[in-house]
Amino acid sequence: MIAAFSALMLNGFREARRNRVTLAVVFFAVLLLLGSAFLTEVTVSTFDRVLVDVGLGVMSLLMVLLAIFLSSGLLGREIERRTIFMMVSKPVSRATFLVARLAGTMLTLAVVLAAMGATFFLVLMLYGTRLHPTQFLAIGMLWMELLLLCSIGFLISSFSTPMISGLVTTCVFFAGHLSPDMYWAAERSKNLPLKYLGKAIYYVVPNLERFNYRPRATYFLTQPAGEVLLNIGYGLGYAIAATALAVIIFQRRDFK
Amino acid sequence: MTHPIEVHQLSKTYRLGFLMNRRVRALDKLDLTVREGEVFGLLGPNGAGKSTTIKILLNLVRQSSGTALVFGREPSSADARRLLGYLPENPAPYEYLTGREFVTLAATLGGVSSADRPARVSQVIEMVGMGQHASLQIRRYSKGMLQRICLAQAIVHRPKLLILDEPTSGLDPVGRRQIRDLILEERRNGTTILFCTHVIPDVEAVCDRIAVLVGGNRVREGTVNELVTSSVPLVEVTVESLSREKFDALGVPFNEVHAIGERLLVRTEDAHTQALLQKVLAAGGRVTRLLPARFSLEDLFIQAMNESHHRVGGRLL
Ligand SMILES: Nc1ncnc2c1ncn2[C@@H]1O[C@H](COP(=O)(O)OP(=O)(O)O)[C@@H](O)[C@H]1O
Ligand SMILES: [Mg+2]
Repeated sequence: MIAAFSALMLNGFREARRNRVTLAVVFFAVLLLLGSAFLTEVTVSTFDRVLVDVGLGVMSLLMVLLAIFLSSGLLGREIERRTIFMMVSKPVSRATFLVARLAGTMLTLAVVLAAMGATFFLVLMLYGTRLHPTQFLAIGMLWMELLLLCSIGFLISSFSTPMISGLVTTCVFFAGHLSPDMYWAAERSKNLPLKYLGKAIYYVVPNLERFNYRPRATYFLTQPAGEVLLNIGYGLGYAIAATALAVIIFQRRDFK
Repeated sequence: MTHPIEVHQLSKTYRLGFLMNRRVRALDKLDLTVREGEVFGLLGPNGAGKSTTIKILLNLVRQSSGTALVFGREPSSADARRLLGYLPENPAPYEYLTGREFVTLAATLGGVSSADRPARVSQVIEMVGMGQHASLQIRRYSKGMLQRICLAQAIVHRPKLLILDEPTSGLDPVGRRQIRDLILEERRNGTTILFCTHVIPDVEAVCDRIAVLVGGNRVREGTVNELVTSSVPLVEVTVESLSREKFDALGVPFNEVHAIGERLLVRTEDAHTQALLQKVLAAGGRVTRLLPARFSLEDLFIQAMNESHHRVGGRLL
């Protein structure tokens, strides 16, 4: 079981490593991070903040794109191309297969994020910008956000096509960042259906703003640990629920 | 006594179309038993339901009704699948892996211990004749090479039951022969084999028993000999060094004679063969070939299809 799980997970990592899209994203990210200092007009007072903000922004954007690409593509393409036939016919449960595939994706994203993070801190050090714990926290919490997005990508892929899965996950990403605003708007709306729709979206779609520590990292603010732990718990809970649902659907489906 | 495969009243209806409102019956109350140690051929035209049967046995597809058991267990149990090796129709391995990496992954998933793995992987890669190409990425493989590497992943964990879906499709004659030899070799080791095909010579060469499926129904079942002798009693004899006139003068019953160059091609009923041979030899002729008059299974196959009114594919409901 454990041997099978880690073989599948590491294979997922190997797949990403040999995939041109992943390599292109990493290359592009390193380029952008290294160049971010040149892209900004150096005004002495805000230079540090802009550098942190741009760096974390670039990382977050590229990582989200990569996460959506990997999570909605992987499972769906396996089913479309029928590579899954020889895998799930082995003495490995479908649950193991799916969770190992997700773990492989998260491992890939962690390695890529670590590479980007290292470049980011290198740039900060080159320009003598202060390193701050919240910068690390922002990167760590970005990974939590990616975990959440990937679990949703896998959930949708467990019953639909890569296209639809990619689309839905992208929508969840935007709705997830707007969800506090939506709740606020819904509260004040006079239109009843709209009010309930807004609240429904708020409760179904994860609140991704919980994982956004970029603004605070930009201003070198520290965080209360309790709040951080709560947000980690929220992310894990949501990801586990989405993955459990994905496993249930995946176990029942025909591969034809 | 549990058999490697027991299928009872198995039916499968696929739902089609955007609203899932069109239905195709791919299998219709199929019964099938594959016994320990035999090579069982599942024969049938395109769309007969061969792949569907196999996919149900591998837990890729769920039946609509009926039972399918592998060594007495439901296909959904991983324990049942531990004893199973599977080569899909048009197999699709991970293209970004090399042949060796792919077979190694299969060995790990199949439960080959890590100590045994490298040697076993090399062994099966040699068995399928892929030793030279094992470190090449699979995306560079030809169809025949794909087929071979996927066969290697099917046998790497030493399964007791091999299920092969059209194993010789896309192979050149040499490849076909090698696959047939490999099937026979696995059989000698005591492996039970179920394979499906529409290539009749493959079936005749290796199968102990066969079943013919048409439109999701089993229309024939038996040993190759039973099915062949009960259906085609004709024999084709090639005679040399004997003129047409002399042959006619022998006075043996025959159905047709064709003079082709120096040779005579005689078709006769099986019951008259021995008498014919004696007289031809006595008259100074040479018998150079003796064959069943047609591809007997092919006949059977076509006959079975005709009886079921040439049904290609499942039944639309
Ligand atoms: N995924 C599917 N969706 C709908 N119909 C299918 C599907 N797969 C197979 N069928 C139908 O089921 C019947 C049997 O197919 P199959 O088992 O693949 O036959 P065979 O392997 O003998 O050629 C065919 O009529 C085919 O059209
Ligand atoms: Mg088929």
